[in-house]
Amino acid sequence: MHELGIAADLLDIALSEAQKHGGGRITAVNLRVGVLRGIVPEHLRFLFGHVAKGTMAEDARLEIEEEPVRIECEACGPADAREFTLECPACGKPCGKVRGGDSLRITSIDIDD
Amino acid sequence: MDVDRAIQQSAEESGRRIRERLAARKVFAVNLISSPGSGKTTLIESAIDALRGKKRVSVIEGDIETDIDAARIRKHGVQAHQINTRSSCHIQPFLLLSALDRIDLDATDLLFVENVGNLVCPAEVPLGEDVRVVALSVTEGDEKPLKYPLVFKTSDILVITKTDLLPYVKFDPERVKAAARAVNPGMEIFEVSAQTGAGLPALLGRIEALCDRKNG
Repeated sequence: MHELGIAADLLDIALSEAQKHGGGRITAVNLRVGVLRGIVPEHLRFLFGHVAKGTMAEDARLEIEEEPVRIECEACGPADAREFTLECPACGKPCGKVRGGDSLRITSIDIDD
Repeated sequence: MDVDRAIQQSAEESGRRIRERLAARKVFAVNLISSPGSGKTTLIESAIDALRGKKRVSVIEGDIETDIDAARIRKHGVQAHQINTRSSCHIQPFLLLSALDRIDLDATDLLFVENVGNLVCPAEVPLGEDVRVVALSVTEGDEKPLKYPLVFKTSDILVITKTDLLPYVKFDPERVKAAARAVNPGMEIFEVSAQTGAGLPALLGRIEALCDRKNG
């Protein structure tokens, strides 16, 4: 249920940014979410819909762009994975380095002026 | 319109206020995270006893219910305040901010903040700490860094606890270290047993050195 706190913060940021822009109904909030964040998009959408009720973001869609983790295999080179793993997707060997996948950002919002 | 803002900014803002307050009083803060039952409170008790006369330790305990842990800590003769988070699965920064009012920070060099037992949400919420420590006991299994990568990525120190039980459980410390370092190459890792005392001097020496570095 960690999505609830995230949904509340998401709403605060979206509303304050829209206000800075001069207000208007928010039609979409675009996010970048790393796979290490363990966020279930359906939960986040449901909870955002709940916290946004009665606000200018009430009908906003959450567009979630997933950020993969980059597995750096010494033999095969870097590869992106949509689930956290230490195994190289190509050769299956465990890798000693995994980068990225920890973003949790609002990239933009769409406003109906 | 472009925004590009990190979510949980409100938590980061409170975290910044906590950091400023601790810096003004020269307090070094440790945010201690683990699953329930990994031995966080026991580690803190060991630290209090080992650092007595060297560092003035205070403790803020986070639990969903009860003040059992704060009472346990006070028996060691140090200040302790209990936060009850009720429905929240982690210490929220605003709760920590008000808890700081209940601790004499001028009489504190080293503040342990024991988070609610949970490897998920505490990883997401900065508490203005100087160092984040994640503890993992050998009875929990060596796959934890694979299952909960974020907490291992965001922590500075990993403490593998209850190593005296290694002969009785299937737990490969090397597997844990490799997985933790894969997401966090700079992570410092200590293996300790509060029962036998093994590994504690190295860990507590490191925390003392980090505390000295901040507070001179």
